[in-house]
This record gives sequence, structure tokens and C-alpha cells, in this order.
Amino acid sequence: MGSQVAPFIQETYTPPDGVMIRTDNLWKTYEMGAIQVNALCGVSFQINRGEYVAIMGPSGSGKSTLMNLIGCLDTPTRGQYWLNGRLVSELSDDELAYIRNKEIGFVFQTFNLLARATALHNVELPLIYNGTPALERREKAEDALRKVDLADRMNHKPNELSGGQRQRVAVARALVNSPSIILADEPTGNLDTATGVEIMNLFDRLQQAGNTIVLVTHEHDIAARAHRIIHVRDGKVFQDERVR
Amino acid sequence: MAAFSQAQPLIQAGAPARKHFAGVWVTAREAFWIALDALRTHKLRSFLTLLGLVISTFTLILVMSVVNGMNLYIATHIANLGANVFIVHQFQWAQGDEEWLKARRRNRPIRMDDYEFLKENIHDYKMIGADSWMGNPPDIRYKGHNIEDTGMTGVTPSMINIGQAEVESGRFISESDYSHSAAVCFIGQDLVNAFFPNVDPIGKEITVGGQPFLVVGVAKKIGTTFGQSQDNFLQIPLTTFAKVFVARPQLAVSVQAWNGTQMPELEDEVRALMRARRHVPYKETDTFGINGADTIMSAWNQLTGQIFFGTIAVVAIFMVVGGIVIMNIMLASVTERTHEIGIRKSLGARRRDILTQFVVESVVMAALGGLLGLLSAAGISKLVDTLWWPSTVPTSAVVVGLGLSSFVGLFFGIYPASKASRLDPIEALRTET
Repeated sequence: MGSQVAPFIQETYTPPDGVMIRTDNLWKTYEMGAIQVNALCGVSFQINRGEYVAIMGPSGSGKSTLMNLIGCLDTPTRGQYWLNGRLVSELSDDELAYIRNKEIGFVFQTFNLLARATALHNVELPLIYNGTPALERREKAEDALRKVDLADRMNHKPNELSGGQRQRVAVARALVNSPSIILADEPTGNLDTATGVEIMNLFDRLQQAGNTIVLVTHEHDIAARAHRIIHVRDGKVFQDERVR
Repeated sequence: MAAFSQAQPLIQAGAPARKHFAGVWVTAREAFWIALDALRTHKLRSFLTLLGLVISTFTLILVMSVVNGMNLYIATHIANLGANVFIVHQFQWAQGDEEWLKARRRNRPIRMDDYEFLKENIHDYKMIGADSWMGNPPDIRYKGHNIEDTGMTGVTPSMINIGQAEVESGRFISESDYSHSAAVCFIGQDLVNAFFPNVDPIGKEITVGGQPFLVVGVAKKIGTTFGQSQDNFLQIPLTTFAKVFVARPQLAVSVQAWNGTQMPELEDEVRALMRARRHVPYKETDTFGINGADTIMSAWNQLTGQIFFGTIAVVAIFMVVGGIVIMNIMLASVTERTHEIGIRKSLGARRRDILTQFVVESVVMAALGGLLGLLSAAGISKLVDTLWWPSTVPTSAVVVGLGLSSFVGLFFGIYPASKASRLDPIEALRTET
């Protein structure tokens, strides 16, 4: 079925029902001149559908590298990464773009909205890249904005919105393609505490609606909102605990 | 496994090939709006960027328009001496300076007896006529008014069927006027306007070089070409012309064939007759000229060919310069928008999407430059047309102008666009704006 649409995607692995992410001994090695730096040294874990997982670690722990791999922005030097039943660790750039579009909804610390586009247009962007017709695109984007309570701010540009509102636009953008996972990288890092709480409440709601959420953070109280925390240190999974 | 597939379809509905195509199409449309937006935000920068292309398209289209206008003019006025007409004259027109100087020393002018000879001896023609032009016209007056720069010609009555003029009112010079060397004249509209603004000119007497001439006819308005009025003329019988003004006038004899196929035969016949009459030896060249529409056209085409060659060289240089400027600004734009590219890539833009975006942007920009050039050229062409010479923008110029500038945008846009498309999403996202 999948091969019909995207022939490059191999479905050699069929996950046990409910497995969304599986990593097998992931390594990432950077060449810094003559020196080799191992950012990840054999990371393996599994995340199920509907789970709410926080990945924690101090800076330099390999947390960002791990996030880039999970987000299909990069490929591992060694090891395998299965996302929603597909081996994505060996795909080409364009194939990864396709996966990012279909399977992953990013929420960034700095929002990463297009400054010159309206909220609505920002939310439409992922749909543009899978060729959704204009009318359907608009409908879906409006729908997503309604879900984050921004229906009345659709035609505002990012600089006319507050930080919290911008982050909600970003969440709507992440949701609009119904991705397999929502991948949030320090989503409250640029927000004040109250707004941060507001955004975290939004994530709770999304999780209750059945979305799989992976949260990358170094703040304990933010991580505490998740159901499970994977601690990363020195490129390895240091601790994997269920908190709720 | 089946349960898994049903639980969440891996791929949403939609025919794959169509969706892929639609993807690029949608991106292209999106890119089009991005491009317009970018142009709007950086008006001055865009204008300066496009200046090279504006100038080159402007030059190209203006030259094409003027040449096109002149072509039309030459084809309808000069080359169309009348259908199937050629002119026997002292010189072959439109030849090199050297030949012309040689011919000037060697060729005798065509005289009345030559005309009579041809008229008697050509065995079949439709019409034959002759005229003689006075380079330095005498004073032309009517009741104290006078007019400057009037071209005066002496004509045979048959010239009304051969030349440009048509009778509006009254009549042309008649056979009787011709044989009696009558003091009558046929005038153009400029003379009517100068002398007879509110009265019927027919039957009035004007003085030409102190001699009275009766106005017998008025010509239809012809208009201006190359900024010169074509209606400032006065025609009198050739016989009168010879009697009163120029004792032995030099003639241009117009011979009209029945049709296009008879033309070359008739030309050959006239050439043979003239050579025999002037005893031109077998190996010598003609001591007279036979000028057909083709003579004029070939000279004209040679000239326009040179104009075009020069234009193409200038336009090509401008286009390349314009293209390089666009490439430069697009490279700057890619650097400036690295973060944006990162965002787009993180949301699923493939290389080809980014490539399309930037190529479309540079093509839109270049095409806009072409359009500006086209519009200003069309404006100037209109001005030239009203004030100086004929000029109309040909459709081919529009196509070539816009096509060429778009192509320049495409060609010089590819490198920056491919650079943008190859950016690493992680690096691009990390770049601060």
C-alpha cells in the first residue's frame, strides 16, 4: 500500500501493534578535522503510539543530535531507526523530506514561523509541500488553528501575535498534516512561565486526543508533564523512567 | 499487520503521480507569490537589479519596432512604386558609393527623347510615364501668401496611374494639358491648407516662379513619413515644366507591367532597348539604372541586417550583464533567507521544491524586467511613430523580448537556486536571521 505511493519506502519491518518509534543501536559520529566525535553511542529505545515522552539531558549530551535523527532531519552513522513501521535511517534527502512532511510535526523553541506570512499561511505550508489543493488546504489549516483557539487570529502575521500565540500557530502547523509524532524542541524555552504552562496544557490536550508526543527539554518541571522521561547523557540512554 | 494498516493508513488518499506533479505545481504557484512579495518589499533593489534586463529588452524591442515600422513604410510606400512598376533612371539606386561615383561620370541622364523612344519601342506594357523633379523649387504664391519647401514635379498624364497621388477633387493633368504645355497644376493638401483653407481651390490661379498656373485638381491627403509631409507638392505637365523652368529635364521613366510574371521580361526588354540605343558594348555594364521594388528592398534589407547585427551584440551584452546581476542578487537572497529555507525543509520541502521556488523567483523577476522594457519601448515607439518615423511593435518582438528575459532569469537563477536546495536543513535552521 505504502509502496504504491512512495516506491522508495521499504516496509521490511512491521512493528508490533502500537509501536511508533524504534531505534536500534543508533550512532552518530562527526568528523572534526582529524578527530572523530561520537555524539551518540548506541541509543536504543521504543516509543508506542499515544505515548507522551520527554527526552532530557544537559547540553552536549547528544540530545539535539537525537532529536535531529528522530525528526528525520539527519541520518545516523550507524544503527537503524524505524518510524511508524518504516526504516527511515537509510533514506535520501528527498525521501526524508517526504517523511518529515507526512509523519512529523515540529514545534521549535524559536517558533520558526515565516515572518512575512499570516498565521493561516504558515499553517498551510506543510500542506503546500504535499500538493494539497488550495481549498482543502485552507479548510484544514483553519481547522488546525481552531484546535489551538486561534481562529480569530488567522490573518495576523507573527509580529502581530504574542509569544504564546506564535507557539500555538506553530503547534497548529505541526498538527495540520495529522503526523505520526509531534516533536517539540524546548517548546517553552522562549516563553514566560504562565504562557509556558498554557502551551504545556495544550500538549496535554493533544496527547489526550491520541497524538504521540516527543518533548526535548532540559527543564525538569516541563519534562514532568510527560508520562515517561528518557534521560540522555554522553550519547547514551542513561535512564528511562515512567513518571505517570 | 493488516490490522495495523487499517488502524492508520500510511499514506492518505490521492493518486501518487498526480500528487507529485501537483506538489511541484503548487510550489511553483506559491513561489510566484513569494517572488511578487519579495519584489514588493525591495522595490528599489529589484529595480536596480532588473535595470540591465530592462535596458536590453527596451533596446531590442525599440529597434525591432522602428525597423518593423520602416519595413512597413518601405513596403507600402517606397517599394510599392505602384504595382509592378520599375523606374528607368540615370543611376542604379542603392548601390555602393564607388559604383555610384563611377556611374555619375559615365551615365548620361534620361531625357525626353529616351522616354519617347521607350514609349514607341516597348512592344507591350500596361502604362508608361515620366516625371522630373525640381530640387530647388521656385516661389509659389497665392494672393500674397506663400509656402516653403514644396516639391515641384513635371509629370506625364499617365503618372496618376503609377505614382502615389490620387485625385480628390477636380482632375489630374490631361493629355491635352500635356500636348499644349498648358499652365495648369495639380496640388497636394498642404497647398490647399495654406492657400485655400475655406474656398474651393479648383479654378483659382496661383503663381509659380512668377508665372500664373490654374489649379485643376487636388490630391487626396497622403500623410507624413519620416517626419516629412508627403502632401506638400505641386505637379505640372512635363512639357510645361520643360518650357518654363528646366530646358532639358532629367527624367525618371516609370514602366508598369501587366503583372508580376511580365515584370522580368519587361525589364529585360527595356534594358536591351536602352543598351542598343546607347550603343553599350556587350561586355560593358549598363549606362543607366533599372530600379524595381526589389532593388530598394534589397538595399533596405542589407541596412536593417546591419542594424540588427549591432542591436543583437548590444542586447546580448546587456542580457548577460543583467543575468549576472540577477544571479548575484539571488545568491544574496539565498543567504538572507537561509533560515526560511531551513523552516521550509523541516516542513517537508524537497530539493526540487526549494529549487522551483528560487528559479521561479528569478524568472518572475527577469520577466518583470522584460515587461518593463517592453512597456517603455512600446511607449517610446508610440512617441516615435507620432513625432518622427513609422514604428509599430511587432508581436515577434513581444515574444522574443519577454522570452529572452525570462530565459536569462532561468539560466542565471539555476545556480543560486540549486545552492539553496542543497542546504542542510539542520544548518539552515540554526542560522539566525
